[in-house]
Amino acid sequence: MKRLYPLGFLAFALILLAVPLASNNEYELRLFMLFLIYAIIAVGLNVLVGLSGLVSLGQAGLFALGAYTGAIVAIRLGFDMISATIVAAIISGLFGVLLAYPTVRVRGVYLAVVTIAFGLIIENIAIEWQSLTGGTTGLMSIPAPNAFGIRLSGYAYYAVLAVTLFLLVVGTHNLKHSRYGRAMLAVSQSETAARALGLSPTTMRTLAFVVSSVTAGIAGTYYAFLNSYISPDIFTFTDSVRFLLMVILGGAASTFGPLIGAYILTYLPEYLQEFAVWQKFAYGALLLVVMFALPRGIMGSLGALFARLRPRAVAVAASEGLPAEATLSRDLSHMRAELVTRDLTVRFGGLTALSAASVRVKPGEVHALIGPNGAGKSTFVNTISGFYQPTSGEFELDGVQLTGLRSHEIARVGLARTFQNTELFGDMTVLENVMVGCQQRLTYGIAASILHTLSMRREEEQCRRESIGLLSFVGLEDFAHEEARFLPFGLQRRLEIARALAAGPRLLLLDEPAAGLTTQEIDDLEAMIRRIAGLGISVLLIEHHVELIMAVADTVTVLDYGQVIASDTPAVVQADPRVVEAYFGTSDSTHLQSDPQPSEASA
Amino acid sequence: MSTVAQYVLSGLAIGGIYALVALGFHIMWSAARAVNFAHGDTLMIGGLVAAYLVAIGWPLGLACLIAIVCGGLFGFVLERMAVRPFLGQSNSIGWMLTTIAVGIMVESIATIETQGYALPLPSPGITSSVQIMGAGLYPQELAIPVIALAAMAGLRVLQRRTLIGRAMQAVAYNKNAAALMGIDVNLVVAFSFALASLLGAAAGVLIAPVVQASATMGVLPGLKGFAIAIMGGITSAPGVVLTGLAYGVMEKFVEGYISTSAREIVGFSLMIVVLLAFPQGLFGKREVAKV
Amino acid sequence: MPFQRFKRLRLMAATVAFGLASSAAMAEQQPCIGNSAAVTGPAAFSGLAIKMGAEIAIDEINASGGVLGKQLKLVQYDDAGAPPRGVDNTRRIALADKCIAILGGFHSTVAVAQVDPVHEIGIPYMGVWAANTKAIENGKDPNFMFRISAKDKWVARFLVDEALKVTKDGKIAFFYENTGWGNGALPDVKAALAAKGKELVVAETFNWNDQDMSPQVMRARDAGADVIIIWSLDREANQVLRAMDKISYKPTIVGAWGISGNLGELAGPLANGTRVMQTYSFLTPQSETGKKVLATLESKYGLKDPSTIKAASGIANAYDAVYLLADAIKIAGSYDWPKVQQALYQVERDGLVAPYKPAFDKADPERNDALLPEHYLLAVWHDGKLIPFAGSPYDK
Repeated sequence: MKRLYPLGFLAFALILLAVPLASNNEYELRLFMLFLIYAIIAVGLNVLVGLSGLVSLGQAGLFALGAYTGAIVAIRLGFDMISATIVAAIISGLFGVLLAYPTVRVRGVYLAVVTIAFGLIIENIAIEWQSLTGGTTGLMSIPAPNAFGIRLSGYAYYAVLAVTLFLLVVGTHNLKHSRYGRAMLAVSQSETAARALGLSPTTMRTLAFVVSSVTAGIAGTYYAFLNSYISPDIFTFTDSVRFLLMVILGGAASTFGPLIGAYILTYLPEYLQEFAVWQKFAYGALLLVVMFALPRGIMGSLGALFARLRPRAVAVAASEGLPAEATLSRDLSHMRAELVTRDLTVRFGGLTALSAASVRVKPGEVHALIGPNGAGKSTFVNTISGFYQPTSGEFELDGVQLTGLRSHEIARVGLARTFQNTELFGDMTVLENVMVGCQQRLTYGIAASILHTLSMRREEEQCRRESIGLLSFVGLEDFAHEEARFLPFGLQRRLEIARALAAGPRLLLLDEPAAGLTTQEIDDLEAMIRRIAGLGISVLLIEHHVELIMAVADTVTVLDYGQVIASDTPAVVQADPRVVEAYFGTSDSTHLQSDPQPSEASA
Repeated sequence: MSTVAQYVLSGLAIGGIYALVALGFHIMWSAARAVNFAHGDTLMIGGLVAAYLVAIGWPLGLACLIAIVCGGLFGFVLERMAVRPFLGQSNSIGWMLTTIAVGIMVESIATIETQGYALPLPSPGITSSVQIMGAGLYPQELAIPVIALAAMAGLRVLQRRTLIGRAMQAVAYNKNAAALMGIDVNLVVAFSFALASLLGAAAGVLIAPVVQASATMGVLPGLKGFAIAIMGGITSAPGVVLTGLAYGVMEKFVEGYISTSAREIVGFSLMIVVLLAFPQGLFGKREVAKV
Repeated sequence: MPFQRFKRLRLMAATVAFGLASSAAMAEQQPCIGNSAAVTGPAAFSGLAIKMGAEIAIDEINASGGVLGKQLKLVQYDDAGAPPRGVDNTRRIALADKCIAILGGFHSTVAVAQVDPVHEIGIPYMGVWAANTKAIENGKDPNFMFRISAKDKWVARFLVDEALKVTKDGKIAFFYENTGWGNGALPDVKAALAAKGKELVVAETFNWNDQDMSPQVMRARDAGADVIIIWSLDREANQVLRAMDKISYKPTIVGAWGISGNLGELAGPLANGTRVMQTYSFLTPQSETGKKVLATLESKYGLKDPSTIKAASGIANAYDAVYLLADAIKIAGSYDWPKVQQALYQVERDGLVAPYKPAFDKADPERNDALLPEHYLLAVWHDGKLIPFAGSPYDK
């Protein structure tokens, strides 16, 4: 599939070249130019919807913002088209940042409502601020497209639109296949896991909003210059729906999907005219049919069909990978990995989940944290990985104060974790999941992502080979190109470990890694933990499975009712009557020999 | 004084409509974590069907009743056809777009039938106005907020006293657990959508004598009703109803003391600000995500 | 797959190109008159009315031999009241369908937006509804925009004259819908009042589908207005009347023709005494032409009762517009746009709505409008019907 993209771009370029030569009249060319403008919006919106998984139903507001800004600076200040476009792009971009802010607090339908409100506010401001926007009458006599004082002919303006769109498609395609694109997809599929890998969801969402609003702003200015007239009726809620539909119809997250969606929805009204009074009905009916027949959009459905006809090899040769030992020990050579918590207390309302817990994970050791259900193990894990804020107390990693940091910041300091209920990026491949892990070791910036510079490609290749190495380390190289959600449960757990390792942690936090595994799988896990510890990575293991703990742990800490009741070598802890009492309410220490929670057979 | 009274009372009348629409959103959301994005169209269905039936000679009461039942049926069918197939998806785009699509189609049919004209719905509630503290209102308008509050109370009684009501609460609380307890979740969801649409159609019937029934009468109340439901906290029935009434009054004061045209700008800006300050809405319960 | 994609895109491009080319080819065979109007949306009735009027005229013209030996046809596109679609339709009609002229639609914003493309292309435009002053008085020379319809500037004067006849102390308020039509009329009404040495006491606005006008009405009452000039459609005017009724405020209403549809039906007795400016009505005694058109409306469109025709002006204006265009084509002896535009200034005809003698005057920039203030009628709502004001119970 990957090799087909250059051909796709070539075909797209040829079409863009051929259309002006083939068009019969100005109207036809104009209509195609309108398509180019809508496609610019759709391609930008795709970054938001397809990659970041956020729904915007206010894109017409950003389109309006660009159109009015461009038109006003052109009319009032005599800006030429290029400078007007730049001003409009900046203004819309700023509003994009503003719109991204609510995503910190609200998501899903709530966000959709915020964007709807935003679109309606812009539309109404355009109606009411008559002195600036001309009110309902709109702005007339916007100058013809011009650059550096030269008036652009119809064909020259076409070229401007076509080149902009082409570069945008290439740029967003490149962005998608870079660490930024992976990060956006990761954040949209599991925010929790993304944060645990050091990704800042807010940054990624803001980036997506900025891309989609800057493109809408540019498209707006182009539209104003093409039409030489704008009015508030152009930017209604219906138009926002149509822009979103372009992305969904074409296929969200695909490279060429939004183009196809924009094409169809630009030309569709021309054909629907046949239906006269019934055309809106026909539009609604078509929308309904699309949602049922092609829920993943045209490109999505075609891609799935293609994948079924020509299945791709799932395995990857282990020889392509760099040895995991080299990858992992490289980052550790000069550091100790010691986690210290002091009097960590977490209260939820009146409930004290963790009470003055002081734990020390020594450099390079495997430290197990056990305790009955409700003892505060999960609270402890979620607190030291930054998902909960402690009520009091503090914790640090190798002397770096972590208290008060957010989860992705803690991850960046060198703490990686897995999850009790696996949190994979289900729609991404196994290899991509691991590559999200190496995110922080990649240094290239956004410009390099868009341009796919040589150094960016070198870094990506390095990341890919390291990730393959880590996959072989956990024994998943045969599933590299499988989508993560199709993996059997036991393998999903291993993938989480590989992904966490890719982040290059100094402390690896395993949250009940044996839950739901078969005996054989637990044996494999035990060996894996030993190997990880052997590389000098400290491991904090939260487990119920006593045999595993006794086999691998250097130190065992026992929590009960939020308090540390014991912390010592397994043998000592095993004999501690308080521990036995916490588990069974009696002092019969023999019970602890067996597995208190029989493991279930995994799927 | 009479001016303030007029704004408050007129605001309560329009706010009552918002409250009924928002209450519908609350009911749908509780059951399905999905809503009918074109819920405003149930207003239009209620209003237009009633006006049409009266125009062909049906008695007013019967016409209104049939209109409300039509609205409920619409909600039932819509849930089955356009919402349920998309409930399993991780994002909300599916049912958002399908319900919008159905809305476009219904509105299109209504436009073709009416050619865009408004139809009158005669009602004894608008023959003469009453004066309260110097403010003039139709009895019909006074009834709207009262009915909205009654609907809220009625919903509570339904939830407390009836089997289906308790099932609705169970589904709202935890769908899987409810299914394990033998509750037919699909039926409860369908019932909830029908009930929400019933309330929407009732709002349409109530407001039609005052504003006339037209193909586009539901568009803005629908959008605002949703915004109000979100702002009030979509998980709380009293929250959305009170927010709806307050929003209506707020609108009238903006119209009165700032300008008519500032209404939408002020209203929707306020909504965004409220959501930023209270992400779960003013009266909504916070749902803690467990990692 | 890329090859398939390429083929598919090419195929789509080809379909579109073919579709447009074929319609252009058809236009060469049969001359057409285009129309961009709202066929969907809240003003859907307007597009239908224009279609009826234009089709009746075209059928009649074709029955008597067509123009320049060819049969005319109507090409109608929906703009749903949205200016960009109106602009696109204009280009499609002119450049793809290659029609001889364009008939305008209902929405003033669309008409104003069409000014630039119409002149850029140079195709004659004949407005039949939207009354915005600047759409036709646009300062272009040569001006390709013509109109057979009311013009807000003149309507404003007409209504201000009526308002001054009624008012006791000269306190006149203005209510207008917040659209291109309403906003465009505001300066016209102010100017018309200023010419009489008066000023508005308040100017209040509202949006389509607004549900309560109490604040606006109360401000008008507090300002002491005893006459309200109103630029709105029936639906919103009904809201204004009801808001007045609620606070027992009874000024005289004088309205532009937007409230000549079904206000009597909506507001019932509250509408009684509301004066409306009209250009045409099928309820008055009809000329021979009028009877013929009424007969066709009944036989072709099933409109039996003239009082059910709510958009009389739209039908009649479109009917006359097609005839004036056909006359101009005959005078020009060509379908050529500039020639038809020039020929329009020579057309004289005794039309359905008014006698056009001449229809347009090249020397007077105000006279690209065919309907003159003396053709305006004053009507009044009385018991659900719109009747001529002269001789009505309100004519004292």
